[in-house]
Amino acid sequence: MKTKDNMVEKTLKEYDAGGLTRRSFLKRMGALGVAAAVANAVAISPLGALEAWASIQGPEERAWELAKVAAAKAKKKTLTLLIPTGSIGNMTPYVDKWKNELGITLEFIEEPDEVIHTKGMQEAVAKTGRYDVMMPTAMSYPDWIDSGVIYDLTDWTEKYDPELFNKDYGVVFPASHHAQLYNGRVAGLLNDGDQITLLCRKDYLEDSAKAKAFEDKFGRKLAVPDTWKEYYELASFMHDPANGFYGSLEYRSPYYVKWMFMQRLVSKGMLYFDGEMNPTFNSDEGVEALEDMLAMNEFLHPDAFSFTWSSNYNAFGRGEGFMNIVWPSGFKYSKAPSTGPATTGNIAATVMPADYTKDGTKIYAGLFCWGYGYAVSKYSENPELSYAYAQWMTSPTIGADAIPYLGGYSDPYRVNHMLKPTKRLLDTYSPEYLQTLYDNMVNTVPDFCLPGGFEYQDALDKEVHACMTGSKKPKEALDRAAHKFERITRRIGKDKVKKSWLSLAKNLAEPIKKATGADQWK
Amino acid sequence: MMTKKLSPLQTVIMGIALILVLFPVFWILMTAIKPPTDWNASPAIWVPSEPTLVNFQTLFDPDALGKYGVGGVSQPATKAVFGSILATFIATTLSVVIGLFSAIGISRYGNNSKSTPLIILSGRMFPPAAIAVPFVIIFSNIGLIDSYTGLIAIYVAVTLPFSTWMLKSFVDDLPREIEEAAMIDGRSKLMAHLTVTIPLIKGGLFATTMFIFILNWSEFMFALVLSYTNVSTIPVQLAKYVTATAGTLYGVQAALAVLAMIPLVIVGYLIQGHLARGMTFGAIKQ
Repeated sequence: MKTKDNMVEKTLKEYDAGGLTRRSFLKRMGALGVAAAVANAVAISPLGALEAWASIQGPEERAWELAKVAAAKAKKKTLTLLIPTGSIGNMTPYVDKWKNELGITLEFIEEPDEVIHTKGMQEAVAKTGRYDVMMPTAMSYPDWIDSGVIYDLTDWTEKYDPELFNKDYGVVFPASHHAQLYNGRVAGLLNDGDQITLLCRKDYLEDSAKAKAFEDKFGRKLAVPDTWKEYYELASFMHDPANGFYGSLEYRSPYYVKWMFMQRLVSKGMLYFDGEMNPTFNSDEGVEALEDMLAMNEFLHPDAFSFTWSSNYNAFGRGEGFMNIVWPSGFKYSKAPSTGPATTGNIAATVMPADYTKDGTKIYAGLFCWGYGYAVSKYSENPELSYAYAQWMTSPTIGADAIPYLGGYSDPYRVNHMLKPTKRLLDTYSPEYLQTLYDNMVNTVPDFCLPGGFEYQDALDKEVHACMTGSKKPKEALDRAAHKFERITRRIGKDKVKKSWLSLAKNLAEPIKKATGADQWK
Repeated sequence: MMTKKLSPLQTVIMGIALILVLFPVFWILMTAIKPPTDWNASPAIWVPSEPTLVNFQTLFDPDALGKYGVGGVSQPATKAVFGSILATFIATTLSVVIGLFSAIGISRYGNNSKSTPLIILSGRMFPPAAIAVPFVIIFSNIGLIDSYTGLIAIYVAVTLPFSTWMLKSFVDDLPREIEEAAMIDGRSKLMAHLTVTIPLIKGGLFATTMFIFILNWSEFMFALVLSYTNVSTIPVQLAKYVTATAGTLYGVQAALAVLAMIPLVIVGYLIQGHLARGMTFGAIKQ
């Protein structure tokens, strides 16, 4: 490691001294592995290469220095991480470094992802101190902070500066705020850029016979959909159930179906609540969103009502549909020949389709749903060391290095991961998809990252699912969900939830804030 | 014994019932020997064309699936298998032994109060989820969380009402006079029960043991909630077979399920002669 650091430094000095062309510099930095993560950023920086390197490397180095100090004084030489099953692949590559250079053993406690939130709440009462670092999704932070099980990380972030909001290599806004802050304070450090984007089959789009037939029918070029209406038309055009090929694979299954609704709702310029915490999804827009979904049911894969994330990815990878709405891991699946035999090399990805508000404004809105991050347990014996781990793992450099490892859920979340990617990131995703991720992420609306978030989500999910299965009419289902929402808000305390909601709404992308009226909320 | 031939309708109904009962077993067995490409295939693959033992291998060598490009399994199932065996055998033994003496006590020396069944079975009237969290707090405070001692204690607490009540019905069926005869012959109360009562209800004892064993062997909620790293059991391990590269590892889950079935099948086979009466809580008199 030391030798590599020296070589990086030597290369930077040589480049600063004018002894290397930009191309040679990038090539040499690329060959140095981790350095390639930021080589491009360094090369185009107005600062000198050494200075630019130091700044982008800063969060990693500051975290490592803290880790060294904290590790030296730690009585317990083990750092225990509560992580969701299936996520370990992004962490294991660094186990030896922590052991060899810091003397710290990383111990992973894997739990099914659906019980991570519960395990955290359980620790709030059990106070065992068994966990040091915990890896929940952004929705857990409010309840975990309020129950006192995790630290507010703000003081540490101010001191050690993970550069969360740096415009060149910070976490992409607004996920930087929605998936890390609770009431404006840092609750966790994001390590997984979970947002949903739309995948299409490129080979079908490039089929000349299909292109002609589509143009004849719809009077426009066959291309990835720009709006939900176009999405519907494409699905109907490509739907070929006789040959086991379906228009789309979007979810209608319990637990997943709410996200399909929420995504459509926000695309219509409507949020889940107004500025006074009154549910707004049972409005005309919400009913329209459900009706759109009901209409789409005709062109969905027959397993849509039972899809989990993995069975959905598998079906798309096997070539059973034209479109799919997936997390970035779905793209990775579809791109890899082993899991996407029919889709490898055949995917065209795009941002989530736009829709129109009542006044005709076109809105592009994405949904940032799920998204793991690191939190520090209040009952940890080594909280500073735990924080250092979180900052180090999510630094621009280590983050870029960790994401492409297989066997983990981590997806790009910092600007440099998408706009200044390493070769490994490019190989894992693709330049086009990384750009799509960035374009989509800047317009994302958060999940229910509020106190009681899982309860809101569950209430909505059940009613949307009831509507999709035909047991409730759209308006009836949404009114019922709204009623449940009001009860949850009342029980938790309106002022408390409102404060958190307004804090989230304050950090929406400007067009969405304007379209939803959130820019006027006080 | 006279055997009565089934009518054609009865045969058909029996056939359908057997298919329904055995289909999950068949599916688990087939999935356990399917390669990853077949786990989730559409249309479903009923019998794998290239059966493999890789799923069983993966249980003990997490890298075994690597040859199919599937990684991300981080822990072998060894600890979970041993954990299940340890917790289940000890908890079942304790539950049945304590239940047996409770049953004899209630049946032979109890006041026959109408509230006895309610008191005994009240522990089973709460959903496990409702009592799990309070136990987390209690066990945390007394240092029993994430320990086999704690897990066994809760398994015994949860199954004891069943074992007591089942065994009580068998003791109730046994004429007191037989035990009294043994006492007249000079045996103490304890010896009379050990040498007379217990041998005479051994069918019920087997059935109860089997029943409690199944309950403990398949218990999920308490094992999940009360465990961190020291304690692991098969049902909890089953829920952990999810990876980022292949989603749910159905084949590996099925392989572990097959392993989990083996002790039950063996024990069930050995004591099947006692099961018919035992499983009906002694309602069928021999």
